[in-house]
Amino acid sequence: MTLDLTAAMQTYAAESQELLEEMERALLALEAGRQDPDLIDAIFRSAHTIKGSSGMFGLDAVVAFAHEVETLLELVRSGQRTIDTPLVSLLLRCHDHIAALVNSPPGEDPQADLLVQGDALKTELQAWLGDASDDDRTSENVWHISLRCGRELFRDGMDPLSILRYLGTLGELINVTTLDDALPPIERMDPTACYLGFEIDLRTETDKQTLEAAFDFVRESSQVHLIPPGSKTALWAELIQALPEGDDKLGEILVRTGVLTRQELAAAMGIQVIDSPDKQLGEILVEQGLAPPEAVKAALGRQAQARRTGGERYVRVEADKLDRLVDLVGELVISSTVTTLRSSHSDDRALQEAVATSARFIEEVRDAALGLRMVPIGGTFNRFQRVVHDLSQELGKQIDLVISGGETELDKTVVDRIGDPLTHLVRNAIDHAIESPEERLAAGKDPRGRLQLNAHHENGSILIELSDDGRGFDRERIASKAIERGLIDSTEGIPDQDVFQLIFAPGFSTAEQVSNLSGRGVGMDVVKRTIEDLRGTVELENRPGQGATVRLRMPLTLAIIDGFLVSVGDARYVVPLDTVEECMELGTVGRRDYLDLRGEVLPFLRLRDLLHDTTEAPARQSVVVVSYAGKKAGLVVDRLLGELQTVIKPLGEVFSALKWISGCTVLDVGQVGLILDVPVLVAQAERREVTSGHHAAALK
Amino acid sequence: MTRDTTLESGQEKAQYLIFNLRGEPFAIPLLGVKEIIEYGSVTHIPNMPVFIRGVINLRGRVVPVIDLAARFGEPPTTVGERTCVVIVELQDEAGINDMGIVVDGVNAVSDIPASEIEPPPRFGAKIRVDFIQGMWKSQDRFVIVLDQARVLSIQEINQLAEMMEDGPAR
Repeated sequence: MTLDLTAAMQTYAAESQELLEEMERALLALEAGRQDPDLIDAIFRSAHTIKGSSGMFGLDAVVAFAHEVETLLELVRSGQRTIDTPLVSLLLRCHDHIAALVNSPPGEDPQADLLVQGDALKTELQAWLGDASDDDRTSENVWHISLRCGRELFRDGMDPLSILRYLGTLGELINVTTLDDALPPIERMDPTACYLGFEIDLRTETDKQTLEAAFDFVRESSQVHLIPPGSKTALWAELIQALPEGDDKLGEILVRTGVLTRQELAAAMGIQVIDSPDKQLGEILVEQGLAPPEAVKAALGRQAQARRTGGERYVRVEADKLDRLVDLVGELVISSTVTTLRSSHSDDRALQEAVATSARFIEEVRDAALGLRMVPIGGTFNRFQRVVHDLSQELGKQIDLVISGGETELDKTVVDRIGDPLTHLVRNAIDHAIESPEERLAAGKDPRGRLQLNAHHENGSILIELSDDGRGFDRERIASKAIERGLIDSTEGIPDQDVFQLIFAPGFSTAEQVSNLSGRGVGMDVVKRTIEDLRGTVELENRPGQGATVRLRMPLTLAIIDGFLVSVGDARYVVPLDTVEECMELGTVGRRDYLDLRGEVLPFLRLRDLLHDTTEAPARQSVVVVSYAGKKAGLVVDRLLGELQTVIKPLGEVFSALKWISGCTVLDVGQVGLILDVPVLVAQAERREVTSGHHAAALK
Repeated sequence: MTRDTTLESGQEKAQYLIFNLRGEPFAIPLLGVKEIIEYGSVTHIPNMPVFIRGVINLRGRVVPVIDLAARFGEPPTTVGERTCVVIVELQDEAGINDMGIVVDGVNAVSDIPASEIEPPPRFGAKIRVDFIQGMWKSQDRFVIVLDQARVLSIQEINQLAEMMEDGPAR
């Protein structure tokens, strides 16, 4: 049977990535001095799961390496080893090695140098293991395992064979009996279903938890029974009762494999079923004196916790499908508005009520559908722990990263794309803003610098803040550099905020020495552009000598926009509400296209001219005052139609030349409204004036 | 929608949608035709070539509408009772895009054997030669079989629109 594993491999890669991130996060938290057994559990779980899923794909190099890591972690977990900085640092390197192995191209053997590196790490790991291997467990540890595979097992992407193979790595497989009783006649057999069962005897020194973990992936669908060495016969009886095969058959197997003697079997069969069959295994274990009650309680607690943290279960859905859903829901909202309108004209009260109810649900459906695109920013934030850790070591600085608000949710697209600009900002802060420990001491500050990443909601947008307690922005330094680069002539009369904004100008850099981290003057302008592409803004707050804060204000979602609807002729346009300052009537103006806004000169654009609208202008036109990046301009329109919240749709390839349209939306009557890109409109108008000015000058 | 194609035997034939434009029959392959809808509620998009009539909302998707007559350099179609929009799916480097074309009326679906499609006349059609894939003799008159990819080239539309965007600014 050949299977297309590409899709499964992708899931494997994505999942491993997440697990590696979790592992790294936990390691860094340990390094930061947090003493928390949960962290060690998390690291162990990650390594273990990666090992398990790698095994399914036959990635032996990963399995072998992860196994070594797991063994060491097991010692830490059981308290036989304490975790300290050198160990964390070794584990971090192991983490990187696993990542490299996982990321190496599938289907090929890992590169030689990678394997050499792995062997070196393995030797180091074994050095840590060496003196702790005083194991006192007996060698006669034969466990009996009954596995009845769920029908879904293959379809879930599992394979009993890989479980057996894995068990083989834990100890010695003494007996494996395959049960095919559940196999239906061939004509009724579903080839994608798994009908098999296994009775396994395993000699191993690992503990119950490790054994159970081998079945983590199949527990939900399959029946798994573990019988510890030397168990009382009642447990066997229960096993035999619980399994679907006839009593005799199973008993025979057990006798044949030598787990039970005939006498023991007879005794077991003679025993009445344990009083309450619903009892949890833990309770039975305690009753039989197999495990101390405290241990069971602890294990149960741990399981509950694993369930809680593992509770964020995800379904991977193609983004296009989600977009289609959001589109359809948008349509649904629009058509529901029409229905509501129509029903309000009717006299049928019952109809009106029914329509109102469905309209309410439709709005809830819309909110839920939009919520599907929202993901917490925490994953992105946590990546920076490593960036900060590595960079500060490289630069000889001591820096703590404090993260808060990681649970704040943003549109998936924003989360995906904000990583790079944030990385740049974090690197900049570490490189430029935060001083070396000596400088900090001299300035009377804590030698440890502090970076803070925070996200929270504010006024319908998401605020992402990066604060440092470094030296802050230096107005004079920025100004002189900007003058040197010819960006400005002088800073006189320019407010601080505007001076600081100069660092976002293309080709600007204040770093006196170009380090390999930042300071090449590329980046900050890209940061700003990326943020603006996502309809966000960048603000800077300066506390001279005490640090600075970079504030990214991002829209809650890219799919929905708060807009202001205007009309020109027959066409209706949407101006993004966050750019609208105020509206006013266009009085009589002269030949020049500017007006007096409370003593300020406000240049304006006549949308009518820009759009080549040939219908006759109404007697009274209005001005929408828009502002963007500190610049104000007026847009002259025919009528103001008020605010609306609407779903943004792309206008498509055909119209890609129209830069001043950022998208479109379906208006309540099913008509399409265009969304104006205010910054582009204003920039185009500026460019036009400049070029026509040059032309005029050239003619003279 | 089925298409009967036997490539090797020379008996290759395909189904074409025959429509009417200013009294003349034209044909496009039926394979790409998704649906035919009544003309209505087209939102004009300014600063685009004249043959772009605008966009329509097709069940939540925004689809550009092209005036074929105007694309051929003739005056734009005047909307009448039988005017409709043929929605076609285009697949090119830019991906898959839907586009609507305004026609004066839809006539029929015909099986046209490839062997019956004559090469376009070298001149005289008064339509850019590269727009014409060939001519098909149906009963008493010639049907112009259009090269859909050329007529609806998004790349060309973009170039024209960019020229218009830059044009009036200077």
